[in-house]
Amino acid sequence: MFSSVLSASITGLDVSCVRVEADISDGLPQFTMVGFLSAQVREAQDRVRSACRNAGIRLPAKRITVNLSPADIPKSGARFDLPVALSILSACGVLPPGSLEGVLAVGELSLSGRITSVSGVLPVAMKAKEEQASLLVVPAANEAEAKAVRDLTVIGLASVAEAVDFFRDGVLPDRACVPSPDAKLNCYTEDFSDIHGQLSAKRAASIAVAGFHNLMLIGTPGSGKTMLARRIPTILPDLTPEESLEISRIYSIAGLLTEENPITGTRPFRHPHHTISPQALAGGGKIPTPGEVSLAHRGVLFLDEMPEFRSQTLEILRQPLEDREIVISRTSGTYRFPASFLLLAAMNPCPCGYYPDLNRCTCTPRMIADYRNRISKPLLDRIDLSIVCPPVSYEDLVSDGPAGPTSAEIRTKVEAVRAVEAERFRGTSLHFNSEIPPSMMETCCPLDPAAKKVLGQAFESRSLSARSYYRIIRVARTIADMDGEDIILPRHIREALTMRPVDNSYWKTL
Amino acid sequence: MIKEEILMLKRDDPGYPPKMKELTGMPQTLYALGELPDPLKPSVGIVGARMCSAYGRKTAYEFGKILAENGVQVISGMAAGIDGSAQEGALDGGGKSFAVLGSGVDVCYPRGNTTLYNRLKHAGGILSEHPAGTAPLPYHFPSRNRIISALSDIVLVVEAKSESGSLITVDFALAQGRTVFAVPGRVGDALSDGCNWLIAQGAGIAYAPEAVLNELLIGRGTSAYFESRIKKARLRHLSEKRVKHASSLSEEARKVYEALSFEDPVYPDAIALKTLIDISAVRASLQELAGAGFVEEPERDSFLRRCPDTEEP
Repeated sequence: MFSSVLSASITGLDVSCVRVEADISDGLPQFTMVGFLSAQVREAQDRVRSACRNAGIRLPAKRITVNLSPADIPKSGARFDLPVALSILSACGVLPPGSLEGVLAVGELSLSGRITSVSGVLPVAMKAKEEQASLLVVPAANEAEAKAVRDLTVIGLASVAEAVDFFRDGVLPDRACVPSPDAKLNCYTEDFSDIHGQLSAKRAASIAVAGFHNLMLIGTPGSGKTMLARRIPTILPDLTPEESLEISRIYSIAGLLTEENPITGTRPFRHPHHTISPQALAGGGKIPTPGEVSLAHRGVLFLDEMPEFRSQTLEILRQPLEDREIVISRTSGTYRFPASFLLLAAMNPCPCGYYPDLNRCTCTPRMIADYRNRISKPLLDRIDLSIVCPPVSYEDLVSDGPAGPTSAEIRTKVEAVRAVEAERFRGTSLHFNSEIPPSMMETCCPLDPAAKKVLGQAFESRSLSARSYYRIIRVARTIADMDGEDIILPRHIREALTMRPVDNSYWKTL
Repeated sequence: MIKEEILMLKRDDPGYPPKMKELTGMPQTLYALGELPDPLKPSVGIVGARMCSAYGRKTAYEFGKILAENGVQVISGMAAGIDGSAQEGALDGGGKSFAVLGSGVDVCYPRGNTTLYNRLKHAGGILSEHPAGTAPLPYHFPSRNRIISALSDIVLVVEAKSESGSLITVDFALAQGRTVFAVPGRVGDALSDGCNWLIAQGAGIAYAPEAVLNELLIGRGTSAYFESRIKKARLRHLSEKRVKHASSLSEEARKVYEALSFEDPVYPDAIALKTLIDISAVRASLQELAGAGFVEEPERDSFLRRCPDTEEP
């Protein structure tokens, strides 16, 4: 007899429907699986046989053939165990004919007959909805994740026995119904007002977030660079439910969602260690899985101790910073992952960390120059803002002065600027001030005559490059937006100048 | 590289510097690009830390400049920091300066000093005991210091830590019978430990360029020193007054200026805490003051009041 059930295969971030077919015929007892399968999928036959037996069902001693179609897309992973088992059970008559009509199933089996959790359930659920599947069957542990997709019937099963009960007798497992996860969006435990002092750095952070400028923090060890970085997601605009699903989808495929947190409610903050490999940053594997740049999508990628990263690894960032996505090519195909993140870099001013305090710094000028030159110019060119975090003094720590604005207050300002940006770039492909091309400078960044003069003066005396010139105007645009001004005034240009990107004028001080 | 320009002097050549000829342990061959120091004119070797403070750099420059203005030749090693600044000062003062390298005379090291290297070729000279093309190997440097001290009548240390390489030059200078001067510094400043220690050991106290000039019997006299001190104080006062009355400056900029000093660099955050002005306004004001020439930024994001060079606005 023949039977089939739908399942889904994931390559990169794309989900495609796969039909799992089973046929049981007379002949020598044999179990064959075909359909462009990886070793993981092929191993399903042993798991399915044992799982069924331990669930009290003996598979007939007949010739069993399983096919996963279409046969031209590669299939990998263990999520086909459950659909294989269901189609075989239906083909051998344990399940009534037609009971698998319109059903899409994913799940891994253990030899005991339990159904264990798999990665990528959320995108599969989205696909199921798109394909108008009448029922999605997932492991019980993934039920909440699947239920994040609205208007889709989902059932979570914990064992093969439960599956048989359900499809044969219509008996639902005797468990409390898992509710749809009402994403508790934007709940952060940290707040900007936790940080004492560091006024300049906090100001730079809010400018960076408002105009989506990448930011470099330079400071001695213990000056609070990491503490500040961790709080930057809290001042990014509130996550919308759509964005939450978009992020969760990536996390689901990376297998980073848990039963407790079935969907992501906060903006990501990724801080890979500096020993990270290029593949881990970009996304790697024979069939690539999302790397750190994609896991930071719609959030912050924080590279602490940036000069310590291998240059080969850092150079990977160039494409995602430009295109907001990363393209990975493998023999099996080309994969695109979204990678729209705010880059936050931190570094010490010198290898020992204490320059310019020459009473403590033990570095030679050569060591400092080498350390700073480790970050390539093309990468520095993509960082609009840089700010020095001065060492924190005892007074800063114990001062009872004003605690500074809270994250919520800053976020309100940031959202106001984002609204101005949305209005400004309506009808174009741009979103943020940091993306204004030189051709649109005139229209987007009108300069007050006095501001023009200030800029001209700075250009002469600091010998700025054309590129830093435009970057200063972009930052000044954001500062003016925060100030509620249409025209860029001298004070905006001046503040932007003090946060000018690190280039020769910073590096050559030695 | 134009090899023809390089002079090669054997110890018995007439051009070989007489100050070196009278000493033992001097190289058999000396290579030179440009001129050699004039044996009839006084020369002062200025040495010090490569990693020096902005203050040290300024001091070295000033000493180099004033000495050169009074006809003194400045000898040094063209290194980063004190050496280079002193030689730049000497050239800017219209005098001659000579660099003794630890590499071949046609190898510019450190490369960051290429401009200085090219200037020195035309207003002074580049000397070395190593043949053309020799790389700047680390062990060349301590031994080239003996040539610096040999060519100098006085060796002046501007900034040095307690275990500084500059003290090697001092050792050579004492062995060769040269006078040693040191610029005094604040107690507890690591970069002045070496200098203060030298003074404790009996080195001359270079409280001003005039102290060195006096030793060389060049008559500017100490009164010139006090004059220059008074002039500086007047210039500072003038600068403060200008800030007070400059109509173009904003009220905030004036308040920010009040919070700055001429000596110790301050971070913008500290100014904001002190004046209770919003940080963005503080930063904009600092830039405004810098644009008007009242403030300088010796290190990224730390600010000082700037003292004008002349009374002219």
